Amino acid sequence: MAPADKGPNDRDGQISPDERAEFKRRSAEIGRRLEAARSEPGSDRGEPKKGGNDHGEVMGRALRLSTELIGGIVVGAAIGWYLDTYLMPNVFGTKTWPLMFIIFFLLGSAAGMLNVVRAGMKIKTGPSDPSKGKAVPDDDDDI
Amino acid sequence: MAADGHGHSPIEQFEIKELLPINIFGVDASLTNSGAFMLVALGIIFSFLYFSTGGRNLVPTRMQSVSELIYEFVANTVRENVGTKGMHFFPFVFSIFIFVLVLNLLGMIPIPGITFTVTSHIAVTAALALLVIGIVIAYGVYKHGLGFFGIFVPSGVPAALLPLLVPIEIISFISRPISLSVRLFANMLAGHIALKIFAGFVGLLLGAGFWSILAPLPLALTVALTALELLVAVLQAYVFAVLTCIYLNDAVHGSH
Repeated sequence: MAPADKGPNDRDGQISPDERAEFKRRSAEIGRRLEAARSEPGSDRGEPKKGGNDHGEVMGRALRLSTELIGGIVVGAAIGWYLDTYLMPNVFGTKTWPLMFIIFFLLGSAAGMLNVVRAGMKIKTGPSDPSKGKAVPDDDDDI
Repeated sequence: MAADGHGHSPIEQFEIKELLPINIFGVDASLTNSGAFMLVALGIIFSFLYFSTGGRNLVPTRMQSVSELIYEFVANTVRENVGTKGMHFFPFVFSIFIFVLVLNLLGMIPIPGITFTVTSHIAVTAALALLVIGIVIAYGVYKHGLGFFGIFVPSGVPAALLPLLVPIEIISFISRPISLSVRLFANMLAGHIALKIFAGFVGLLLGAGFWSILAPLPLALTVALTALELLVAVLQAYVFAVLTCIYLNDAVHGSH
């Protein structure tokens, strides 16, 4: 720090390219050391998502799948049944049973599959990790 | 059910008892054991968070770091699933997570005749799920106007397929609060019934003469199931919070 601490008045706060390079080198060095310390197996700091937590996350996602499928089928069948027994006979005066029930049961099954596929895609790609990237952000980088 | 003195019914534990009759203008608002357990949970949450963070130490004490861990865990979940834009939903997700978590865990404390698992009733979980989906719809419409309903129209699909796909998307959306509430309620209900049944086997075998040598088997299974149920209690609270975040993501960012 000694050479850069001479005071702001002589160079209006400007720093030379050499010093900028030196800052960058040091920030990269700190970043490297932080990464090394974080990835050390014995350390319990940093990266709280890794380790035992991961199992819970994957298991939680896996447990979703069955109810997602059943939810879609039940909702589709319920809508179809409602249309057949209440709406169609009372509003339009037509007997549609079991046409609507069958149609909406199939649509509901498709919706259930869609739910499962969406939940499954989440498992495959996994969550994006915002902590990845530079360990020490450098506000000089926009130059 | 248990009037004959032996053999408790495995569903007796889910019975709702009136503790304090309250009637507000003809509306039955009596305090039941369910409501009492919710109040106890609120008391535990409030006092735990209040006293553990009261010190505001730079180097946290054990209790303080527990609350900080929960805070950061939920904050990361929200940030990963909704993004930084969704962080003003953090208090909502945190409240839901810790409420469900404490209720689930309270149900795991075995006090005969008193213990009650609030989340094993679909009325409670459905109310929570409807609150979540209501907020998603209200915020989505507030933020994107009618364009919010664009989430029902999948992008990049030929127009001829839309009459088929839009109903599917709508059914898929309606099934969200149902699967959200049924998952939590069914997991808690099934787990507690299984525990009760296996614990009942211990007593039945002990009274079965020679075969009482088998009694330790269901006892061991009950111990193992208790561990599993603790895992499920935490996991289901987490799943509820994650799904809340995923649904909020639709409201914050509009169509996918």
